[in-house]
Amino acid sequence: MNVHTYEKVWLGAAMVLIVFFIASVTYGAIGAGVAMVDDSEETIDPDTLGEDDRFGDPRVEQVGDDEYEVYAVARTFVFQPDPIEVPEDSTVTFYITSGDVIHSFSVVGTNANVMVIPGEVATMTVEVDEPGEYGIVCNEYCGPGHHDMEGLLVVQPEDEFELEDDE
Amino acid sequence: MSAETGSATGVASEGRTYIDQFPGEARLVRTAFWSSFVALGIGGLMGLVQVLHRADVLRVIDSTDYYAVLTLHGVLLALTFTIFFLVGIFTWAITTSLDRGLEDLRFTWAWYGLMAGGTALAAIPILGGLTDAVEMSASVLFTFYAPLQAHPLFYLGLALFVVGTWLAGLDWIRSYLAWRRENPDERIPLPTFMVLTTLGFWYLSSLGVALAVVVFLLPWSLGIWEQVNPLLTRTMFWYFGHPVVYFWLMPVYMMWYLMLPKVSGGKLFSDPLARVVFVLFLVLSTPTGIHHQYLDPGIAEGFKFIAMTNTMFLLLPSLLTAFTVVASMEHGARQRGGTGTFGWLRALPWRDPVFTGMALAGVMFAAAGFSGMVNAGMNINYLVHNTFWIVGHFHLTVGTAVALTFMAVTYWFLPQVSGKRLWNRSVALAQVVLWFVGMVLMSNAMHRGGLDSVPRRTAEPQYRGFEIEPTLGTMAELDAQIVLGGTILFVSLVLFLVVVVMTGLGDRVDDLPANEYAETLSGPEDAPLVLDNLKLWVGIAVVLVVLAYALPLAAIVDRGGLFGPGGSPFPVFVGCLEPTVSASVAFLGDHLPAAVSGWW
Amino acid sequence: MSSIEREIGHDEYDPVGTLALIGLYFLLLVVLWTFTYFVEFLGGDLTVVGTLL
Repeated sequence: MNVHTYEKVWLGAAMVLIVFFIASVTYGAIGAGVAMVDDSEETIDPDTLGEDDRFGDPRVEQVGDDEYEVYAVARTFVFQPDPIEVPEDSTVTFYITSGDVIHSFSVVGTNANVMVIPGEVATMTVEVDEPGEYGIVCNEYCGPGHHDMEGLLVVQPEDEFELEDDE
Repeated sequence: MSAETGSATGVASEGRTYIDQFPGEARLVRTAFWSSFVALGIGGLMGLVQVLHRADVLRVIDSTDYYAVLTLHGVLLALTFTIFFLVGIFTWAITTSLDRGLEDLRFTWAWYGLMAGGTALAAIPILGGLTDAVEMSASVLFTFYAPLQAHPLFYLGLALFVVGTWLAGLDWIRSYLAWRRENPDERIPLPTFMVLTTLGFWYLSSLGVALAVVVFLLPWSLGIWEQVNPLLTRTMFWYFGHPVVYFWLMPVYMMWYLMLPKVSGGKLFSDPLARVVFVLFLVLSTPTGIHHQYLDPGIAEGFKFIAMTNTMFLLLPSLLTAFTVVASMEHGARQRGGTGTFGWLRALPWRDPVFTGMALAGVMFAAAGFSGMVNAGMNINYLVHNTFWIVGHFHLTVGTAVALTFMAVTYWFLPQVSGKRLWNRSVALAQVVLWFVGMVLMSNAMHRGGLDSVPRRTAEPQYRGFEIEPTLGTMAELDAQIVLGGTILFVSLVLFLVVVVMTGLGDRVDDLPANEYAETLSGPEDAPLVLDNLKLWVGIAVVLVVLAYALPLAAIVDRGGLFGPGGSPFPVFVGCLEPTVSASVAFLGDHLPAAVSGWW
Repeated sequence: MSSIEREIGHDEYDPVGTLALIGLYFLLLVVLWTFTYFVEFLGGDLTVVGTLL
């Protein structure tokens, strides 16, 4: 086979490029600690979410000093709870599932963006710093009211934050 | 030197046009092209409606109907336009390069009929979604993710269409086998080689979507299954959904390898490397689909990483193509008297719409290469997944690399298959340049909006509780670019249709150039014989698919079961309810029981 | 083709222009990727962290 020298050079450069991309992503995973949503949660029946401990009552719960868990449900065409309120400088783990079709839970302007598939529980942990408000959109088409599906994530100053009373 | 290589066609066509060589096949190719243009026209019009709607410039439909329009846009352009054009080009490639007609044109028309009939069946419920007069709809978009449920006709039409493409493939393979019996020792001609390798991964990957539709979704829409496993059918869709983009792209690569060097005035730089590239696509196209599911729960990170490495290595054939194709153009430019490191670019035939359209399509594909690399990167997907960035990306790939190349080569093919002179070259040239300009504006703004989290697939990217703030510029500026770009694209599309219709209305002439494709600088005699061992490559492709998919599929079925836990079906009635929460809750209550018992 | 001024064969043809163009493309890709990955993505808010590693 008769391959021109320049073409061999380019083949080498292309391989370098590919390895560089894979290395960046690996650094992101190991060095920067970015985890992918995975299969760590059990499946769940979307038709009986009402009877579920976590999703029967969508809410924010404190589980440690600066650690919170959010049990959220996406359904046509709302997010529950809404708004989601967490304190500044905390670690927040979202557990999100769907009561009907495929949605997404995407916090606008951030990397928190995950698919919400009926039967599966999506989980992701994020670090929140400063107080502020973020929009939440569903970026997967979910039916005729898809464009109306939105929510709010409110990061509150430490001294203003209190968990809603369930009783 | 290589005086005799690649000249087979030059001899074969003996200065004749395609319609003189193969009148029956030319009629089929022509019909396939027209089917494709009709889809392009309607799909493009839907695109204009969407661009104006999203930016809130002009809303001629209700936002709830937007998704029927979007379904029509996606299905007609991604499947109908592209694949009808493909069967035209591949029929041309097989017959021209083997220098023999198809074995039995009745069979050929049968598969064409199946494809056309399937499209029509699928279109009925999609169009039904736009009117309340019929209780039928399929506003499930191009990806038809369960539990969104379309009318059964949609799934049936889709299945028939895919079966039609399978029979088309058999038709071409039959020609090849007949040729092989008569020419046992010859190398497979390059165009036929390209068709056969493409078919290899097409059969392999479309099997996935066919199974998803026939085993799960169609019976489910008929009420035979109560529920399906949404993650499973979604994974089966993407098993097909990524390779299908290479199905669109392979006829484009074929044109870049066979036509672009010729219209540049040069020769294909390397036949062996072209074969290597197509073999790489055959082998690597399919075990990559999970990169569309990086953000899906229920799939382990390790499987996602494997899909990423496969996807990244799939960059290789495209990067190699960039070199070979540009080098072929440079060869042409230098033969035409071009000099200098960059000065040769001026010696290219920029006044030829066939050349300019393909060259600009190539430039846009290079840009798409970058956004595609980002899409391939696993964790960076958090930044771009399902945002407008993705829409920007595939309007550069299928929307420009593919669509613009198809339109440009139409200006060469149409005279070949109709025997009529191209109506107006200047309008054709303006058309391809306008497409480029329109897409630069539109896709640039889409990419930028995506980085700011503007979602794809929404009728109204304006929210009540917050505003999406671009980090650079304003939303109004991005919207303006998209509206302007989309409008220019629509004008370009109208010009294209005017040129093809006017050409079709012209008279037969007998002084058209002959049916030929590019010769090669380094011909097939330089290519190792093993490259032509298609059984070997298909075997390797199957092994890679098993390695990439067996475990993820087994895990998905093991976790949720073949048919669950999917929840109830969600028939998509578009336009029959108010987009409010209370209405949607009422809607669920009203329709779910009916849906379970087979609502149609 | 009538506009051809000279025939250039395989052995006498070095695609210098192609090498130059594609070299520029290579540099562009490296710069754009580095910016998008390390600044836009890793520098962004609410990075998803895991207990995995």
